Amino acid sequence: MFVVSALTILGFYLAQRNVAANVERDLQENFRAELSWLHKVQELRHAALEERCRALVANPRIHAALEDNALDLLYPSAKDELRDLMEGEEPSPEQARSLHARFYRFLDGAGAVLSPPNPKDVGKLSAEAEEQLAFKKLPEIEQIGYLSERADDARATVNEVMAVPIFSMETGGVISALVVGFQPFELAGKGAGVGVKSGIWLNGQLHLPSLPESAQAVLGGKIANAVANSDRAQGNFAVSVDDAPHLLFYKQLNPDSFFPPAYEICMYPLADSMARLHWLRWQIGGAGALLLFGGFVASHFVAARLSVPVEKLAVDSEKNRAQRKRAEAALASTSEDLKRSTRYSANASHYLKTPVTVLRAGLDSLLAREDFKPEVYEELSGLLHQTHRLTGVIDDLLLLSRLDAGHFQIRSEPVNLSQLVEEWLDDLNALADSVDVQIEKKLPAELYIAGEKQYTSLIVQSLLENARKYNRTGGRIRVAARQANNEVVLTIGNTGRPIARPAQEHIFERFHRGSTRSDVSGHGLGLNLARELARLHGGDLKLVCSQDDWTEFELRLRTSKPTASRADKLG
Amino acid sequence: MGFRLGLSAISIVLFINVSAFGQAVVEGRVELPKSHSAPVMAKRYEIVTSGGVLATQPPLAVVYLDGSFPKRTAPPTKQVAQKDLAFLPSLLPVQVGTRVEFTNCDDTYHSIFSYSPAKRFDLGRYRPDERPIPSEVFDAPGLVTLRCDIHEHMRGLILVLNTPYFVTTDTDGRFRLSGLPSGHYTLKAWIDSKTTRERPVELRSGATLHVDFP
Repeated sequence: MFVVSALTILGFYLAQRNVAANVERDLQENFRAELSWLHKVQELRHAALEERCRALVANPRIHAALEDNALDLLYPSAKDELRDLMEGEEPSPEQARSLHARFYRFLDGAGAVLSPPNPKDVGKLSAEAEEQLAFKKLPEIEQIGYLSERADDARATVNEVMAVPIFSMETGGVISALVVGFQPFELAGKGAGVGVKSGIWLNGQLHLPSLPESAQAVLGGKIANAVANSDRAQGNFAVSVDDAPHLLFYKQLNPDSFFPPAYEICMYPLADSMARLHWLRWQIGGAGALLLFGGFVASHFVAARLSVPVEKLAVDSEKNRAQRKRAEAALASTSEDLKRSTRYSANASHYLKTPVTVLRAGLDSLLAREDFKPEVYEELSGLLHQTHRLTGVIDDLLLLSRLDAGHFQIRSEPVNLSQLVEEWLDDLNALADSVDVQIEKKLPAELYIAGEKQYTSLIVQSLLENARKYNRTGGRIRVAARQANNEVVLTIGNTGRPIARPAQEHIFERFHRGSTRSDVSGHGLGLNLARELARLHGGDLKLVCSQDDWTEFELRLRTSKPTASRADKLG
Repeated sequence: MGFRLGLSAISIVLFINVSAFGQAVVEGRVELPKSHSAPVMAKRYEIVTSGGVLATQPPLAVVYLDGSFPKRTAPPTKQVAQKDLAFLPSLLPVQVGTRVEFTNCDDTYHSIFSYSPAKRFDLGRYRPDERPIPSEVFDAPGLVTLRCDIHEHMRGLILVLNTPYFVTTDTDGRFRLSGLPSGHYTLKAWIDSKTTRERPVELRSGATLHVDFP
């Protein structure tokens, strides 16, 4: 935020400086343009004056007076002929007055002023001023000059003077000149803007009526310096007048003139523009601050908006962590429970096996005696059979507890499943209590799966025994095997009452029996154990269907290629 | 009375005699300046100034017999017309005391004036139908430059002479002055405002003198 603020402020500062420079340059250019426009007006005025003076000096009577040696008639003739120049139509509009002459004089062939018989008619001039009108040599083109004259009151006035040569109609040479004095063109008050001061610098002296004399003297010196140090006819520099900054422009009014050089001085007050600049600066600064503040607020707002999901995420993750911890604790306790139960199962199996073995040994020894009645032997045989069943259950439990504990691993090797199934089917037929069932088999000759034969055999045994046990009289068992991709699929189906639909999803659970038939032996661990072992083999066991007198299981096991040694053995 | 008559008769006879027998003639040629290609203005106004010299264009000269002659009572009135913004003739020699009428033949105003020392006058503006025709008596010898206040380039010259014996040459410079009194005189040829040549001449009645001004 600080970096952004600093960068923004820097940006605004630079922009402000740039704008300020532009404003100043524009100001100068505007002022120059304005001045140049005024100069054009001035040039037009000069052209008009020149035209007028030329027309006057073309007057036949003036020519007659000069050419026909009648100088005594010169001023009297001029009085009539130049009457409008002197008198005009007063009061006149400003422009007309600016063309109105204050005085005029004729110069003789040598450039000296021809004294008028009656100065009143031609505009009074002091002798000193009159001298300034004289030339050493008559000019051949119009000359513009400026004449400062200290009138009776202390204030000096400046006249714009135009000297127009008069050419003899007879000799073609310059025989005289008419010098006419006008009121100078006022730059100020002609649309040059408020507060603009204009004057004329002449002979080292500044004539700027709106300034006090002392200030004029000081400024005059500065202009003299600037003029002396610059070879250009115009320029500008900044000055301070009355403690107010001004831009001062100077421009030579009469370059290449026979008259002494005069400079037009134009002062433009910078106070107003500086105030405007100041105000602009404030505006830019204010806008910048406002923008920065706005940005600050907006960024806070956005940040707040953005942080909501982050905070939520933090809370959620906290919750998640708590949940996870709980789950982990639960898992740990479950695992502990499981371990304990596994340990318990193992212990139980162990502790059960010993008394069963003792029991069986006792029953065997009792059967070996020959002093019992035959019905006692039958009873003992039945009990012995029960101890065998009990041993089977204990073995299964022991195996399951090993599976649960995760300690159990099979040593995977190629197992000929076809052969295994055939062996078990043979055993099945040989069973004493075998019901009358027909066996259909569809087995490829050599189907090898990856597994440990002892446990693969357990799965097949369990499934085939179930197919036989839960069959009906005159029913059938169908065993089929096929290879699909990397698996061998063994399906074992049997006729008989199907498993009740609600019970179907529980048949693989421990101690569950699909049928409540009391005549069917079993302890409800077979399918559970078979599936656990199938999964341990990297395969699976599932119920395909059980309805309409048909129940079918599907066993999937990973295929394997028969090893060379195994093949040799088989061969 | 008879004497008077006789005197008169004698004088008339004498005069006639003088006229008949005493008349001298001067003829010749004035070498005129080369007629340079005339600028437009010269053609129009006929008086040109070159190097401060007034002359006619094409060049003409006035040949006159200088001297003191009994003044005629009333020299005949002469005319200078303003026609096509030009004085016509552009150069008029007159004897002192001659009245010259300035007829305006243009459809515009003219304002004839002169600041020449020989004659300053100002007839002011007038229209063609101005009556009486503005005129001026030229009573002092000298060259008078005629100007028009309105048309600043119009120039006319009136050469006021003391003598009644003068003639304007043709454009070749040829002249013939007849009826001159016999005697010793100076024959002058005015060529332009700055150039007047002169020759002393001995005139004998009945004789024709040939004088060339080179």
